[in-house]
Amino acid sequence: MNVAVILAGGTGSRMGIVDKPKQFIDVYGKPIIVHTLEVFDNHPEIDAIAVVCLSEWMDDLRILLRKYEINKVRWLIEGGETRQLSVYNAVKTLSPECTDDDIIVVHDSVRPLVTHKIISNNIACAKQFGAVDTVVPSADTIVKSVDGEKIKEVPARRELYLGQTPQSFRLSLLRDAHQKAMAEKNLNSTDDCQLVLDLGAEVHLVQGEKLNFKITSFEDLLLLKAVIKLGKTEML
Amino acid sequence: MLGKSFKIVEPRRFDLYIDDLVCAPDEAIVKIEYAAICKADLRYYLGARDRRTLGFKYPMNLLHEAVGTIILDKTNRFQAGDRVVLVPNIIPKTKHECAHCVCQRADLGENYCPNSFFASSNYNGFAREYVNYPVDYLLKIPVNLEPRLATFTELISVAISAYRRVNLNGDETIGVWGDGVLGYILSTTLRYIHQGKIVVVGKEEDKLRQFKTQAYYRAGDPGIFEENLQIAYECVGGGFSAEAINEIINKIGAGGRIVLTGVAEEHIGINTRKILEKGLSLYGVTRSNKNDFTKALALFENEEFQTDISPLILKELMINDITDFYRAFEEELGNKRLGKNILRFNL
Repeated sequence: MNVAVILAGGTGSRMGIVDKPKQFIDVYGKPIIVHTLEVFDNHPEIDAIAVVCLSEWMDDLRILLRKYEINKVRWLIEGGETRQLSVYNAVKTLSPECTDDDIIVVHDSVRPLVTHKIISNNIACAKQFGAVDTVVPSADTIVKSVDGEKIKEVPARRELYLGQTPQSFRLSLLRDAHQKAMAEKNLNSTDDCQLVLDLGAEVHLVQGEKLNFKITSFEDLLLLKAVIKLGKTEML
Repeated sequence: MLGKSFKIVEPRRFDLYIDDLVCAPDEAIVKIEYAAICKADLRYYLGARDRRTLGFKYPMNLLHEAVGTIILDKTNRFQAGDRVVLVPNIIPKTKHECAHCVCQRADLGENYCPNSFFASSNYNGFAREYVNYPVDYLLKIPVNLEPRLATFTELISVAISAYRRVNLNGDETIGVWGDGVLGYILSTTLRYIHQGKIVVVGKEEDKLRQFKTQAYYRAGDPGIFEENLQIAYECVGGGFSAEAINEIINKIGAGGRIVLTGVAEEHIGINTRKILEKGLSLYGVTRSNKNDFTKALALFENEEFQTDISPLILKELMINDITDFYRAFEEELGNKRLGKNILRFNL
């Protein structure tokens, strides 16, 4: 079984909007999270979806699932205080109902432009390698600074990639990685792949796309709206 | 659901669009898998139409010869994973009754309806990742049919449409002018639906040799007279169609019928004196309707027919992004061989 875990536990503090989390912001008549869920709901290889959500927004999510006929959502899971704890909550919920070899596709609810191709490649590579991360090569030179004032080093660009989601794992591997982190009191990782690496396992790369960007700021929201052009000619 | 789409916005310029697919109650979502480029698509790509016509067409998704997979069908007519061809000729439900409706006429039909929509002409075509499309205009392909070969269903349906345009006994000798893809498909299709002899006339012997007809002639060959043709199809189009039509007028017998299928952008000169002297009839044919598609798919159930059509696949071009899409159009522009490249969408 291939299960998508959609992370919708964030509050969107960087957006400025205070009345709703960023994933519930409407973009051309549909909340961002619905745009994202539709891609997974219509993917033929995704068998079920778990959404990790803020508890106070759970009913709003239920209403949206009903309104937009999203049918594959089987679990609504309460979000944790951090991203890592949210994923851990999902792993704990899914473990009794899934097998160790099932593939867990973890995705940010605020990356609505994920494609079926990226999801398919994630599933295929996770089945083969156990853990994969979606990345795009860095077009910009990335500099490292420790103090925020001076450059410490300029890493070779050809070795640098920008991490996106989905990140996909064999369930047993993801569970082991989280349990090790919990045991070591490492509680604030922003990336599941880092936890898998800490376990000593390898993480393979899947090619992402620039358009699969994350909506975290107002500028990102503007970009998303610009990208979704209403370019339909006269239809029936 | 959001999906990628390539629209032509001006000659030789495609833009990437992200479209939000909203399914009407009678529609399904189809993921486009294979498609082929038609001459009409190339004309839009080059901007080879008058400026005002293009102004009304752009921006638009090109391509109307396509095969896809059902992603979602809330009408339950199809199951997710079903492979379908998309019928590009749609009659809108809201259409007002025409004063002289031709939809029910066997020799004409919906493809001549002035209120109809045609994908990649006055309606968005299939150059996209997904399309929401009326289920009435989706047809499941036979299980034994390779989906990329099914992209030729549209052209075969056009051949069937051309055949029903004139009422034939079934045993006439038919002449087909044109050594291109439509000439090949029409002459091959006729072999399966018509009892009489099929001969083809063209300019390039290399191509003519590949045809599955009983005989072929180089254009200008006086031997064509011996065939005593009463029916001829013109499948040349473009600047050479005048030459082909005039040869048909010369070679066809008195009272003969000529069916024109090729598009010439410019007005062309034909020998009307001889049309009058020989009492000839000229018929126009354009596009096809759902019934023609159904018949084309029935033909495709025959594996011998599949074998006859398959040489038309030149190669498969993977479309991973918009740059691949540009390359496919440029390659098709330069294609002089008998056949088409098949676009495989992997967006």
